[in-house]
Amino acid sequence: MIAAKMAWGNLFLHKAKSLLLGTIMCLGIAILFVGNSLIDTAIGGLRKMFVEGFTGDLMVTGPTAFPTTIFGETAGGEQVIPHIAKFPDYEKFLASEKGVAATLPLLGGQVEMGLGEQVIGRGSAFGVDVERYKSFFSGNVTIVDGAWPNKGDPAWIVISETSAAMLSRAAGKKIGPGGKIILSAMGDTAGIVIREVKVAGIVRFNQSNQQLARISLVDADTMRDLLGFASLRDTAVKLTPDQQQFVTAFDPGSLFDNPAPAADSTAQSASAANAGAASKPESSAAGIVPVPAWQYLLVKLDPGASASKVLADLTKYSAGIDQGDHVQDWIAGAGTVARTAVTIRLIFDLMIFIVAVIVIMITMNVLVVSISERVPEIGTLRALGAKRQFIRKMILLETTFLAVLAGAFGLLLGYFILLLMKKSGIAAPNLYFEAIFAGKKLVPVISLSGAIKAFLWIFGMSILSSLYPIALALRIKPVVAMQGE
Amino acid sequence: MDTQNQYVVRLENVHKSYALGKTEVQALQGVSFDILKGDFISIAGPSGSGKTTVLNLIGCVDTASSGLVSVLGQRTDTLNDEKLTALRHKGVGFIFQTFNLIPVLNIRENIELPALLDGTDLGMSKSEREEWVAHLIESVGLEDRMNHKPAELSGGQRQRVAIARALVMRPPLVLADEPTANLDSATGESILELMKRMNREFGTTFIFSTHDAGIVAIADHVIRLKDGKVVENRRVDEKAAV
Repeated sequence: MIAAKMAWGNLFLHKAKSLLLGTIMCLGIAILFVGNSLIDTAIGGLRKMFVEGFTGDLMVTGPTAFPTTIFGETAGGEQVIPHIAKFPDYEKFLASEKGVAATLPLLGGQVEMGLGEQVIGRGSAFGVDVERYKSFFSGNVTIVDGAWPNKGDPAWIVISETSAAMLSRAAGKKIGPGGKIILSAMGDTAGIVIREVKVAGIVRFNQSNQQLARISLVDADTMRDLLGFASLRDTAVKLTPDQQQFVTAFDPGSLFDNPAPAADSTAQSASAANAGAASKPESSAAGIVPVPAWQYLLVKLDPGASASKVLADLTKYSAGIDQGDHVQDWIAGAGTVARTAVTIRLIFDLMIFIVAVIVIMITMNVLVVSISERVPEIGTLRALGAKRQFIRKMILLETTFLAVLAGAFGLLLGYFILLLMKKSGIAAPNLYFEAIFAGKKLVPVISLSGAIKAFLWIFGMSILSSLYPIALALRIKPVVAMQGE
Repeated sequence: MDTQNQYVVRLENVHKSYALGKTEVQALQGVSFDILKGDFISIAGPSGSGKTTVLNLIGCVDTASSGLVSVLGQRTDTLNDEKLTALRHKGVGFIFQTFNLIPVLNIRENIELPALLDGTDLGMSKSEREEWVAHLIESVGLEDRMNHKPAELSGGQRQRVAIARALVMRPPLVLADEPTANLDSATGESILELMKRMNREFGTTFIFSTHDAGIVAIADHVIRLKDGKVVENRRVDEKAAV
């Protein structure tokens, strides 16, 4: 009690020192509080947008040279992301993994959209099982025109609201439900593949950005054809008798005035496969049940489940399968935008660390000066019978009081700054920031945990910076009391 | 008289040297004396004679280079820092030349301070302790100043506070290093009278250092030092022992 009283009194006795340190701590805590809140808000928004709308919490992708994103961006330069060969094994494993709420298979790639021979747009398309997709991302997708296709409907596309507007503008007429458009894509093995699809509906992604708002959903088999996985479809292609006859009789060599030998069935079957015209999946010929191709397997976790644990389990399982698949979290899956946000957080943390070191040095210096000014007082206390613990306690309490006082003012300052920001929001200056802000404006979320974190950080720094001055104080011998004030 | 058990302080052939740059200063050279319980002792001598060094050794705030220092029956060279602190806390009261009051505490708190260090309870309840502190404040005549801060008091008043603080733990021994050096002669005289009264009232042994020959006379035991050696050691009713 007396130590606390002396510590409190010393704060006011040495006003200049207290004011200097208090101001540093106050500003530090305010900057931390505001900075962390802004970054937490941005990352939280991004996380919500991606996890609930596009990537899920975790993701398994096919064996690319380097990990890829949901948009197929990869440093390996693969045109098409390979499919996950042991897809059913993953699904089986995840079905028994604790904390996993749902899984979603997905295909993805870049497609060109056209009307007849007129190209009217380009963009990302996801090949999906419509029922599972709707269920997995139920909170993020709303049909604004037309309807969701039914399971088994052939060759359909659901265009995003943004894409529909852009396509309509390019086409000079409304592109909407009931219409047909041509999709084409360049696959790894199949060359350019062209498919006609029927527009089933127009969808709105409730949370999206410029890139995400242009994604279209296509039935999985059409997407497989476009990506060159025609032999790994859910269902066999149904050809009309004319088409069947054409494929059977077609001689590729005739295109080059060089008829192929009758025995060259390989070329024929390859051609058929390339054209997506195989009458049945290739493996069935060997009596093996074909596994439909999926490039991505998204994983949604239960609320409160440990993503790092499931990620670790899944990574271990994937390594055991040894197919070269990649297992990653939503940040890696989301790509540049999320990585940038996380990088900004790292840079901010690094800056905070550097500033913290400087603050600790300044605080320590001021405290050392303060201790040297109080040598006779500390010596007197020691002479009167104060143990070293008492001196330690007194200085620690002094630092604690200062940190608490400065912390309270700093938190108040930070709170008011955040309130001002919240009132007007911070407008994204460009599309890039719009992506990072997960919207046109960043409206900071004021969180108690952010405030506590900022306070603990400053408190920790204060304690850390008082350790050396305390060590100096403990070295003061009681004999100095006899040497006068 | 068997004085063996009456000694509160005993110094035997004590040497103390300090390093001053590259030279070694001999502050004490073979100092020996005994101090009896309840005495009012003056350690006299000119500046640099070793008075403060003797008080430092008796007060357990410094250690001898050689020789034996025994305080309240304990050889100080055998005690570690913790035990020396405890011995100072419970056995020795200090009155400093520059008062050394804690500026952020008021007079009552300053006096009570030693009793509040490290949860010492003095073997009395809080109310008894407060009563004892009030009695000390009254004894030094500062009842009307007890809520003031040291900065609001005169030098003489501050030294009265220091005397009360030195007595709050009821120590058998109080050390005063030139207690009147920073006071005018009238105030200094009143301070010495107060110390003498406390010596009689509580039976506490007072050892004070001074270079003022005029105030030595108040002591009933005078130890005079010169160049780190005892040149006179006498009780007022005895001839010089050295």
